[in-house]
Amino acid sequence: MKRIFANVHVKRLFSAFAALAVLELMTGPPGSALSPTAGFTGSFREAASFFGLFRTQRWVVFFFLALVIFAVWSTWLTWGERVRGVAVKALSVPRAATHTRPGRWGIYVALLALALLLPHLITDPFWQAAMVEQISVYVLLALGLNVVVGFAGLLDLGFVAFYAIGAYTTAWVTGALPTAAPFGIHFNNFYAIPIAIALAMGAGIILGAPTLRLRGDYLAIVTLGFGEIITIFANNLYGITGGSQGTNTIPHFSLHVGPIKYLWGLTPVPYYYLTIVFVILFLIGFKLLEHSRVGRAWTAIREDEVAAESVGINPLKYKVMAFAIGASTAGFAGVVTASQSNTIFPSSFTLQFSINILVLVIFGGMGSITGVVLGAIVIQTGSMYLLHTPPSGYQPQDLYIYLGALLVVMMIFRPAGLVPSRRRHREIGLAEKGEGHMNEVLTGDTP
Amino acid sequence: MSDKIFDVDHVTLRFGGVVSLNDVTLHQERGEILAVIGPNGAGKTSLFNSLTGVYQPQEGTITFQGRDAKPMSVIGKKPHRVSTAGVARTFQASRMFSALTAFENIKIGAESHRGIGVIGAMLRGPATRRDERTSDERTVELLDFVGLRAKGNVISSSLSYGDRRRLEIARGLATSPQVLLLDEPAAGTNPSEKLELTTLIRKVRDEMGVSILLIEHDMKLVMSLAERLYVLNFGSVIAQGTPEEIRANDKVIEAYLGSTATETGDRS
Repeated sequence: MKRIFANVHVKRLFSAFAALAVLELMTGPPGSALSPTAGFTGSFREAASFFGLFRTQRWVVFFFLALVIFAVWSTWLTWGERVRGVAVKALSVPRAATHTRPGRWGIYVALLALALLLPHLITDPFWQAAMVEQISVYVLLALGLNVVVGFAGLLDLGFVAFYAIGAYTTAWVTGALPTAAPFGIHFNNFYAIPIAIALAMGAGIILGAPTLRLRGDYLAIVTLGFGEIITIFANNLYGITGGSQGTNTIPHFSLHVGPIKYLWGLTPVPYYYLTIVFVILFLIGFKLLEHSRVGRAWTAIREDEVAAESVGINPLKYKVMAFAIGASTAGFAGVVTASQSNTIFPSSFTLQFSINILVLVIFGGMGSITGVVLGAIVIQTGSMYLLHTPPSGYQPQDLYIYLGALLVVMMIFRPAGLVPSRRRHREIGLAEKGEGHMNEVLTGDTP
Repeated sequence: MSDKIFDVDHVTLRFGGVVSLNDVTLHQERGEILAVIGPNGAGKTSLFNSLTGVYQPQEGTITFQGRDAKPMSVIGKKPHRVSTAGVARTFQASRMFSALTAFENIKIGAESHRGIGVIGAMLRGPATRRDERTSDERTVELLDFVGLRAKGNVISSSLSYGDRRRLEIARGLATSPQVLLLDEPAAGTNPSEKLELTTLIRKVRDEMGVSILLIEHDMKLVMSLAERLYVLNFGSVIAQGTPEEIRANDKVIEAYLGSTATETGDRS
C-alpha cells in the first residue's frame, strides 16, 4: 500500500479524488431526522449535469472534475515554474513602477477614485447596503484586529466584545437603551464616537493589563471568555441593555452645524462615504504606526521577547497598547454599525463573529495592511455573493464550511496569507534601488 | 574610594532544590574589563540573568551604580528597567530580531528608551521625525563602529556568526549603556574573527568608556582581554585575581581539569 503511494502520480490522483469527495459532501443536500443518511447518499446520487448537457448523477460529475483537477495539477507542477517565470518577467516593469514615489501615489489615487465611484458603478440596493454593513465595517474590524494579531502577535478570540461595547455605547449615548442616557441628554451619534472609542479602549486596557502577561494560548482563552461575558451581560441585563430584544431606536448620524443640516441613512450611499472616510483615516494611521518606533517595537517583541526586553522595551506596555488600539477600532466599528442599522441585539455579538474577523486577517495576511483589507473585501464579497445569488442547495449556514475549507487550503498553499507582510522585502528592495530611507541615511542626504 | 559599577553581595539563587548561585560575592570597578569563567553549569549565565533582572535571586543584594545616578537594586526590577538604567547584554546563542535588517536591529535599541508616543507616531509630526533622524544617525554611527556599515541592509539571520556577534554588541551599545555584559561572545567564531572581536571589545571600553563584563570559555581570549577574573564552580566563587594569579591557582586547575590532575600536579 505504502509503495503504491510512493508514486507521485498515484498520490496526486488520490488526493484529487479525496478533495473532490469532500467537496461533493460539502455541497450536497442536508440530511434530516427521518432519513439521516440522505445527506450522504444524496451527495453522490442526486441528479446533476455537465453545464446542462449530459444528465447524470453527481458522482459522475465529480469523478470527471477530479480527473480534470489532477490533470491541471500535474501540468502545473511540470510547467508551472516556467509560467511563473514568464509572469514575473512580464510583471517586473509595472512592479518596479509601483516602487517609485509617483507610481505609488498613482495607485493610491486610482484606488481612491475607484472607492469614491463605486456606489455609482454598483447601483443594486442589496450590494450598496452590503458595501457599508458587510464590507467597509468588516475592513475596519479587520484592520483593528490586525494590529493585535498581526503587529503584536497576540491571539484575540474575543474581539467581538469591543465591537459590542461600541454598539451599546452608541445606543446608550443616543438614549436608545432602557437605561438613561448620560446626563439625561440624547446626544448626536457623532458624540458617541469618542465615548465609544474611550470605553472600548478602557475595556481593552482593563482586560489586557492583567492578562497580557500570559503567553499565547492562555491569552486566547481569556479573551474568549471575555467575549462571552460581554454577550451574556448584554443578554441578561434587561433593565440596562434591553435584554435579548436589544433596541431598535438608535438614530442615524446627523449633522446640525449652523445652517447645514444633514441626515444620513435614507440610502446606504451617504453611509458608504462616511465609512470610507474613516477607513482611510485608520488605514493611514496604522500604516504610519507600522513603520514607526512603535511598529518596530512590536516586531521586536514578536520576534524575540527576551531580546526585546534586554534592549529596554517593556513588552507588557506595548502589548496593552496594541490591545487598546485594536479594541478602540472595534468600538468605533460598533458605532458605525449601530447607527447605520438602528438596531442592536445580543445574538449578533457571538464568538462566530470574532472568528469571522480572525479569518479575514489570517486569509489576507497577518501583519500586512494591504493583505488584510484585500482579505476582508474578498471574503465578505464572496459570502455576500453566496447570500445574494445562492447556488442550488446552498444555505446561509453553509458559509462557515466553505470558510473553513478555504482556510485549510490557504494554510497549505499560502500560509502567510493572500498578500504576505512584505515590509522587510520591500524596504530592502527599495534600498537597493537607492530609494529606501536606509540609503538616504547612509549617503547623508536625508530629505 | 573605589567606584563600583556592580556590587554583588552574598547572592543565592535557587530553582526548587537546585542551587544555581551559592552565596556569590563579587564586584566590578567602573571602566574595568572583568571576566567570569568556570566549567559548564557553574552558574555563569545564571549570574548574568540575575544581573539583568531576568532571574530574581532569593538572597543577597545586587547594586548597580550608574554614573551621576542613585545606586539601584537590581533584584526585583524587570529586565527592561535594568536596561534603561544602563546595563546592556548579549546572549549566549545570539538572539537577533532575525527577520529584520541589521540596521533595524540596532535602531530598535537606539530608540527603545524614548517614550511610546502612539499619537505622535500616527500623526508623524516634526518631533517624531526629528527622533527618527537622531536614531538613524546613531544607528549608522554604531554600524560603522562595529564595522558592519556595508551590511546594514542585510537581514540579520543571514549574517555570519561573527557578524551577528558584532551586531548584538552594536544593538546593546545603542541603548547607551554604562556596562556591557557579553555572554560567550567568541563562541562559534573562527580565529581571525576572535581576534577582531578582542579588538572591538577593547575599543568599546577605551572609546566609549563602557565597562565590560564577560563570560568566556576561550582561555586565550579571556587571558588577553580581562584585567581581573572571577572563577565560578558549582555556583560558588572559588577564586579571583589577575590573569596571572588565576593561571597559577590550584583550585582553578582542579575545577577545570579534575582533582587527579591536581594530585599529579602536587607530586611533581
